[in-house]
Amino acid sequence: MSRFRRQFFIGIFLLALASGLAVMAHNRWNPALPNYAYFTGWVLLAAMILLALYNARKRLPFLPLGNSETWAQIHIYAGFFAVVLFLIHLNFRLPTGWFEGTLAWLYALVTGSGIAGLFLSRVLPRRLATRGGEVIYERIPALRHALRQEAEALTLGDQTKSPAIAEFYVRELSDFFAGPRFFWPHLLESRRPLNALAAKLENLRRFLNESERATLEKLARLVRQKDGLDYHHALQTTLKLWLFVHLPLTYSLMIFSLLHVVLVFAFSGGAR
Amino acid sequence: MSENLPAPDFDSQRYERPNQAWICGHAAEGSPCRSGPDNCGRCRATAECVPGLEKPAGESKGRWRCTRPGGACETGPLPDGSCCRPISKCSPVPTLRTRRGQLTRAVVTATVALLLICLGGSWRGNFINPGELSTPHSSAAFAKLHTGTNQSDSTCAACHKAGALGPNGLLSAAWRAKPGPFEVIQLAHTRPGEMTAIDEACQKCHPGHLLHQPNVVRDISCSFCHQEHRGAGPIAATTDAQCALCHGDGVSMAAAAATGASLQPKNGTTTDSRPAAGFTQVLHRFAEDHPEFRVHTDKRRDPDTLRFNHARHLTGEAMPMLPNGQKLECASCHQPNATGISFRRINFEQHCQVCHSLQFDPETPGLTLPHGDPSFVSAFLRSLPRQYADFAARSGLTTEADRKQFAQEKLQRLQARVASGEDFEERVFFSSATTGPEVQVGSVRGPSPALYPGCAYCHAVKSGAHGKAEITNPVLIERWLTHGEFNHARHVSVACTQCHAAATSKETADVILPGKSSCAACHSPQGGVVDSCTTCHTYHKKARPLR
Repeated sequence: MSRFRRQFFIGIFLLALASGLAVMAHNRWNPALPNYAYFTGWVLLAAMILLALYNARKRLPFLPLGNSETWAQIHIYAGFFAVVLFLIHLNFRLPTGWFEGTLAWLYALVTGSGIAGLFLSRVLPRRLATRGGEVIYERIPALRHALRQEAEALTLGDQTKSPAIAEFYVRELSDFFAGPRFFWPHLLESRRPLNALAAKLENLRRFLNESERATLEKLARLVRQKDGLDYHHALQTTLKLWLFVHLPLTYSLMIFSLLHVVLVFAFSGGAR
Repeated sequence: MSENLPAPDFDSQRYERPNQAWICGHAAEGSPCRSGPDNCGRCRATAECVPGLEKPAGESKGRWRCTRPGGACETGPLPDGSCCRPISKCSPVPTLRTRRGQLTRAVVTATVALLLICLGGSWRGNFINPGELSTPHSSAAFAKLHTGTNQSDSTCAACHKAGALGPNGLLSAAWRAKPGPFEVIQLAHTRPGEMTAIDEACQKCHPGHLLHQPNVVRDISCSFCHQEHRGAGPIAATTDAQCALCHGDGVSMAAAAATGASLQPKNGTTTDSRPAAGFTQVLHRFAEDHPEFRVHTDKRRDPDTLRFNHARHLTGEAMPMLPNGQKLECASCHQPNATGISFRRINFEQHCQVCHSLQFDPETPGLTLPHGDPSFVSAFLRSLPRQYADFAARSGLTTEADRKQFAQEKLQRLQARVASGEDFEERVFFSSATTGPEVQVGSVRGPSPALYPGCAYCHAVKSGAHGKAEITNPVLIERWLTHGEFNHARHVSVACTQCHAAATSKETADVILPGKSSCAACHSPQGGVVDSCTTCHTYHKKARPLR
């Protein structure tokens, strides 16, 4: 059994055990403890702070706080356990007020984006690896620029002298090389756009002489490279974009949660 | 189609730094400048080098030398000492990390702004309200009663002191809360149902907290049972768990029993409507350990003196049909009241007279004795000539002579049946016989019908001062189970006799209420009908004496 698989099973087992114990404790103590909601609230807040500390840990790489992989595992399983705590704190009942409703929605969005991020981080790297090549995300614009220059030199440069290829490039490929294209098809693993371009290149081949055909081969290779670059761009962008939802909403959630604590105690006296 | 992409050529001098906030605007063209943008995103590009001034000993002017990394340029610095190869300025681009930070800051700012607006504005009450209030506490009457208690003119402060406070006040109130946010031990040690600050607000309008039983050993917080902000309509129903806080706890019940035993009977309520120790049996579910109804355990008897035989009325073979041709049944007499919850009071005129006519003269069916007051009956009997004459007038005899003759004939026939007027009056009041002396008609011999089955046939009649008949007023008890509610309207699908043993009850004293087992047949987990405490009981109800 691989280390990752062993970690996975241990994590799932601990998560199920902790969740079961929490629900049992809920059934046991909820009717008996008058301030039960306060306790579940504090435990939930502690879990949320633990989850938020993962981001702080990433900002402080120089401190000996354990490796990031361990923190990520804790973040994932504690995140799922926090969902159980959240439901227990709500007493398995949907909140109805504006404030508490917003708070619950924020929690749901943060959790949902986290789960989506977990899913993406498990699926997309595998897809990137199977596509071949390794591209650093920050270098994609430079690589795209280089490909464009190479393509333009090949089709529009003085050495080529092929009006058909030049016209074809201007008409069909200049926009393709200008920036990232086919985001959603790449994300959905569709090769239809690339096949369409390949078909157009193949159609053009019939009208070219031998030397032009050699140029067209080079151009087709650049098109495939650009498509691969777009594929990396689409998937790597997605891998990074989910954090644009998860992180800002986490801060918003923490602010709402702190205010929730203030309101609960300010209006306490009969609160259950 | 898989094809190798351009391999990343690692340059130790120019590797990517994802943590940096800005990247050079020329990076997308593959030619970022070496200096790069500053932390604020400003381009720092100037020239390819900063020429150095070489001033050999003895020279005053010196000479500018190119310091370009990778080798000096061909033309060298300009005469003024500036580089001859300026770098074009760029528009630095924020990295994803920086953009994420910007978005995060924007969201945080928007969140804080939203909260400040919502908490400081007139809609604060609505915003922080955790749920819709119950109808009584959200009514116009409640708002009128507590108007102006809050800055936002809502009624939060009618119950919550913090409702009238601003943001700073809320913080202060949270910090001063008892138990406070960090008083975890006190939070853990709070007993269920402890009185809280909010109970003071409840009791402003609902004074008199102890509306339950006099032997309750401690006050229970209003909000323990009545949880607000659970939506419109009546306030959220009390659950069995809340009742079981005391009634399911042996220690609490023992203490309540001890308290109840020491209570002095007061106004008859403690002796009549509740046992001496109070209702202190530990119970959890109706079908399991709820005690049998006290009306049965105490073997209570109906104190009514009116003689009534349910069995005869329901199953008697000689029971005549009603004038409408229908058989006598429960609903003939027990007619539901306007709400359907209970029944209209039985009275002679509506429910008995149709069969039990007060006809005293067998030959004059239309003339009946008055009902209700023995003195009226006496007066009626002592003015029989006048009563017969009036009856004649009502029957259509118009002349005085005819009426007088009619009355005289009736009186003569009546007098032939009785010994005297006193004898007749005594028979009217005290006789309970339904048959007269035996007579023989042809070959058949048997009892004759009674002249009149007297008042004593139904009523308890005794002889008072000067021989005056005194009739004990009937005592019709409307409710036997005074500590529980019962809604007959919700049980119309069940036959009366399924719960009430009327078909076998022959004595007035029989209390034909169903026992607990009859109710538990349906009101139990097995029966599938709700069996919560509040189905029958109401906490805030004073014990009602029997009536």
